[in-house]
Amino acid sequence: MRIEQQPAYVLHARAYRETSLLLECLTREHGRLGVVARGVRGERSRLRRAQLEPFQPLVLDLLLRGELATLTAVEVVDTPARLSGDAGLAGLYLNELVVRLTGRQDPHPLLFDAYARTLARLAAGESLAWSLRRFERDLLEAIGYGLQLQHDADTGEAIEPAACYRYVAEQGAMRCAAGSPRALRGSDLLALEQDEMPDSVGLKELRDMMREVIRFHLGGGELRAWRVLAMAVSRRP
Amino acid sequence: MSSGSPLLADLIEALRCLPGVGGKSAQRMAFHLLERERERGLKLAAVMEQAMRRIGHCERCRNFSEEPLCSLCASSSRDRQVLCVVESPTDLAAIEQATGYRGQYFVLMGRLSPLDGLGPEELGLAQLAQRLGEGEIEELIIATNPTVEGEATAHYLAQLARAGGVRPTRLAHGVPLGGELEYVDRSTLAHAFGGRQLLD
Repeated sequence: MRIEQQPAYVLHARAYRETSLLLECLTREHGRLGVVARGVRGERSRLRRAQLEPFQPLVLDLLLRGELATLTAVEVVDTPARLSGDAGLAGLYLNELVVRLTGRQDPHPLLFDAYARTLARLAAGESLAWSLRRFERDLLEAIGYGLQLQHDADTGEAIEPAACYRYVAEQGAMRCAAGSPRALRGSDLLALEQDEMPDSVGLKELRDMMREVIRFHLGGGELRAWRVLAMAVSRRP
Repeated sequence: MSSGSPLLADLIEALRCLPGVGGKSAQRMAFHLLERERERGLKLAAVMEQAMRRIGHCERCRNFSEEPLCSLCASSSRDRQVLCVVESPTDLAAIEQATGYRGQYFVLMGRLSPLDGLGPEELGLAQLAQRLGEGEIEELIIATNPTVEGEATAHYLAQLARAGGVRPTRLAHGVPLGGELEYVDRSTLAHAFGGRQLLD
């Protein structure tokens, strides 16, 4: 199948054969695709290796046969999102998250839009933690595991800002006693629902909650980028 | 494959572990060695055996070495106040050949890349942090590749250096010598433009 003029980002590239690259790309209409870019590492390549770096908005022409697609043309549509410093590490986290939580050739246009939006936020220097939480929420929504942030999963009542909840993956938020492990405030759940940045305590609670939910959807695994991010943050003076 | 010789089939299969070598190439290599290069084939086998058994990593810089300390780390003529961090032994060789750098190295054997399973531990960064803390090093030259992952690694290394009271520096990036601006890709040109220097 020929795919033309497909908006895409490269998530990951690794060497393949002598001079080729095997790319993991996130495309708008065809989801994540494995793409072979032939000969791009060679000296006389028409395509530049630099064009196939992550975080760069691209338009690709592809030939999809079976599991893998072959790259036939690439066009850079905009300058790449400049993710410097910790934003760069956060960007690697986004990419790992997308690769680990989506299947190849599963189209999620909303995910693509959320990804592009998140890169822009990271490049603009917005809060890393909050940008990542918003992306995780949108990613889960796009792939069909949306969070339930409005109602108590036990009683069906509206979430109360002042009450404490524990969020259980695939079930939702349930009332719990304040101070129990992994408890978060109702106001934090509502902040995530209404897209309003909570305070730093709320951000930390939401991070722990998201990790648990993501861990569940990974089947119990860990993301490598968590360790990278954790060490980067702990090194900060 | 039915060649009538299981040993030959084993040899062909074994040769396929080399990068870029598929079934056909492996078969050609095996026949070539058997028909024309028996002597050198034996030598290859002997050296391969020795190398696989004896070459490990240098304790200080992680480069390949059969001694606990590689010759660069053991040398008394290298400047111990500058340390250059590279991703791979080939990068080290390139810098050695091109620059006349006289300091020491640290070889990561990769770059931070969560999707390849490479995190701080796999790159020996604890070992690097310890070396930076020894107090001898004044400058950490970060020579990771100018890729997204290389840049993320550089950022991380710079934080390590600052924590150890060491000055981090980064290789400049820009337009290649003999290049024409018209043909330089956008992001390289943007980098070169942003990093312009005062002429004096």
